Amino acid sequence: MSPPLVVVGLSHHTAPVDVRERLALPETSRTELLQAMAQAPAEALLVSTCNRVELYVVGPWPDLHDRTHAALANAAGNDLAPFLYAHHGEAAVLHLFRVAASLDSMVLGEPQILGQVKDAFEQAQKLGAARGELARICAAAFGSAKRVRTETELGRAATSMASAAVEMARHIFDGLEGKTVLLVGAGEMAELAGKHLVSAGASKVLVTNRTLERAEALAASLNGQAVPFDRMNESLILADVVVCSTASPSPVITKEMVASVLKPRKHRPLFLVDLAVPRDVDPAVHDLEGVYSYDVDDIQKVITENQAARAAAAAKAEVLVAEEVARYIRQRALREQVPVLAQLRARAEQIRRAELERALSNLPAPLTPEQAKVVEAMTSAIINKMLHQPTAKLRAVQSGESELADAAAELFGLDGAARKAGEG
Amino acid sequence: MVRTAFALAFHLYALGALAYLSVLAQGWRGLAWLARGLTFAGWVLHGVGLVMLFSQQGWVPNGFGQAVSLLAFLLVAIFLAVDLRARAALLGAFLSPAAVAVLVPSLWMEGPAPELAEGLRQPLLPVHITVALAGLAVFGVATGVAGVYLAAERMLKGKRFGPFFRRVPSLELLDDLNRRLVAWGFIALSLTLLTGAWVQARIRPAERWGPAELAVVVAWIAFGVLLQARIFAGWRGRRVAILTMAGFGVLVVSFVSRYGPWVTR
Repeated sequence: MSPPLVVVGLSHHTAPVDVRERLALPETSRTELLQAMAQAPAEALLVSTCNRVELYVVGPWPDLHDRTHAALANAAGNDLAPFLYAHHGEAAVLHLFRVAASLDSMVLGEPQILGQVKDAFEQAQKLGAARGELARICAAAFGSAKRVRTETELGRAATSMASAAVEMARHIFDGLEGKTVLLVGAGEMAELAGKHLVSAGASKVLVTNRTLERAEALAASLNGQAVPFDRMNESLILADVVVCSTASPSPVITKEMVASVLKPRKHRPLFLVDLAVPRDVDPAVHDLEGVYSYDVDDIQKVITENQAARAAAAAKAEVLVAEEVARYIRQRALREQVPVLAQLRARAEQIRRAELERALSNLPAPLTPEQAKVVEAMTSAIINKMLHQPTAKLRAVQSGESELADAAAELFGLDGAARKAGEG
Repeated sequence: MVRTAFALAFHLYALGALAYLSVLAQGWRGLAWLARGLTFAGWVLHGVGLVMLFSQQGWVPNGFGQAVSLLAFLLVAIFLAVDLRARAALLGAFLSPAAVAVLVPSLWMEGPAPELAEGLRQPLLPVHITVALAGLAVFGVATGVAGVYLAAERMLKGKRFGPFFRRVPSLELLDDLNRRLVAWGFIALSLTLLTGAWVQARIRPAERWGPAELAVVVAWIAFGVLLQARIFAGWRGRRVAILTMAGFGVLVVSFVSRYGPWVTR
C-alpha cells in the first residue's frame, strides 16, 4: 500500500516569477494553512521558497487531493489552478526526496534548499503538524539528501563567471583568507566578482579605475580601498588575485609590468582573471613562472566542464534518491506488517491455550508436572511450525506487495480495522 | 607469526591503495575514510611485525628486504600524518600505491639475523638507521607531494580543467607541505650524518666514506641550499618541486648502494 501522501504546489518549472511572487505567503497565513490542514489524524508540511510553494499532506481521507488543492488555492487566489501540479503516494514521496536533494532546483545541486525544507519541517513540528508518518518521510528525505551530498559531486562545481573565478582561485590558494584582491575597472562585473571574492573570505580589496571617483564608490561598497590607476605597479605587488573588467581597447596589464613585480612580490603566486573583451591582460602574462592568467573563454571552459560534471552527478543522484525512496517504502511496509504478524501469533496462542486447557480438563487423572510440560511444549511446537512459513514471508515482504498482509488478515480472519490502527 | 602480520599488513595497504585510487577516480569523499582506516590498520599490523622481528636481532634491520620494510612503515606513518593534517586524500592515490610497491621486495625478506658481532653492537646504530630511513621516507612523501604539485600546475598552466583538476589540492597547500617536509627531512639528514659519523668512528675508524655516505652529503648540501633559497630568495613552487624530486633521487641512490640486494655485507 503506498503512503497516504499528497503534494500540491507550484515551482519554477510550472509558474513564472510573477505567479510565484503572489504565493509568497506571510508567516501568519502559513501558520493558519498548516493548522487548518493538520487537524488530527492528518499531518501537513508547507515548503515555501522563492522558487516553489508546496503543501504536503498526509491524511486518511479519500478526497485528500481535493482538500489540499482547495486549501492552497484558497490561501493564494483561485486563478492559480493552471500552475499547480500534484503527486500522490510514492510519486509524492519521490518528489519530496528530489526537492530535498536539490534535484528539482533551478540551479542543480544548490545547497540552500535542504536547509529551507528542514526549516519548513521544524515549523510544522512546532505547530504539531508533523508527528507520525510525515515526520518519518521527512527524516528519510533528509537522510537521502545527505547521501547525495557525500556520495556525488552534485553541487561541488561552480556555474557562474564570478563563482568559477572563486573556484579557480581555490586551486591556487589554500582559501582566500588573508588574500588581497585587486579590481581593475569599477563596473558591474567588478562589483559582482568583488562581492563573491569577499564572501569567499578575501580580506582586503583594492579598486582601481581610470576615473578615481567610480573606484572610490565601489571601494566604499566593498569596504575596500581605492587606488589611482597610474599606481598599478604598486597595487600589483600587493595583490594575490586581480580581476580585470575595463573597457580599454588595449591590454592594461602587460607581461613587462608583471615581470617587473615578481621579485618585489617575493614570487608569491599571482592569479589574474580577465573578464573584459577586448582583453585587459596580455595573454603572454600566463607564461611567467607562478603567474596564472585566465580570460573569459578559459572561465567559460571551467563552467562548461562543471555543468557536464553536474549532469553526471545528477544522474547518479537520481539513482541514489530512487534507492532511498524504495528503502522508505520497504520500511513502511514492514511497519504495516508487524501488527498482522502480532495478531496472527496472538490468535494462534489464544487457540492453543484454550484447546490445551480443554484437553487437560477432559483427562481422567491430572498429569504429572513433567508430563504437562511435554504436552505444553508439543502444542507450542505445532503452532510454531505451522506459522514459521507465514511469519518469514510476512517479514520479508517487499514494497508494493503488502497484498500478502491483506491476504493473511483475510485468511486467518484477523481484524482489518484494528490492523490499520496499528500502523505506528 | 611475523610473516602473517606482514602479509596481512600488505593486503590491507593494497586495499587502502585501491580505495585511495577510487577517491581520485570517483571523487567520493566517504571512501577517503575507508582508505585511511585500511591503511592505518595495515600500518599497526606492520608495526607489530617489525617490533617482533627487530626485538630478536638487536633492533637493526638485516638486508634489503628488512630495510625496505622499515622504510615503507615510516613512509606510511608520515603520509598518514600529512593526509590527516592537510585532508588531502588525493595524495594517497599517489603515495599509497608507492608504499605498496616499496613493500613488495620485503615479502621475500630475510628471517631474523644472528646476533650482531661484538664490534657492531653500538647503541647509536639502530638510532642512525631509523633516522636515516625516516629522512628518506620524509623526502619520499615530499617527492609525492611535489609530483602532485607539478601535475596540478601543469593543468593550471595548460588550462585543462577536467574531472581530476577539481580534485587536486591547491598549489599553495602543496607548496606549504613541501616546505615543512623538506625542513623536517633536512633535520633528519643532519642527524643521519652526525650519528653515522659517530658510529663509523667506533666500528671502522680506518675506512673512508663510500658512495652511500657521499650521496647523503651531496643531498644534505642541496637541500640546505634549497631551504636557504626558499627563505631568502623566495624560491617556491615548480622549481622547488623539481629540486625536491632530484634530491630524493640522490638519496635513493645512497639507500640502494647501502642496502641493495647485491650488496654483500
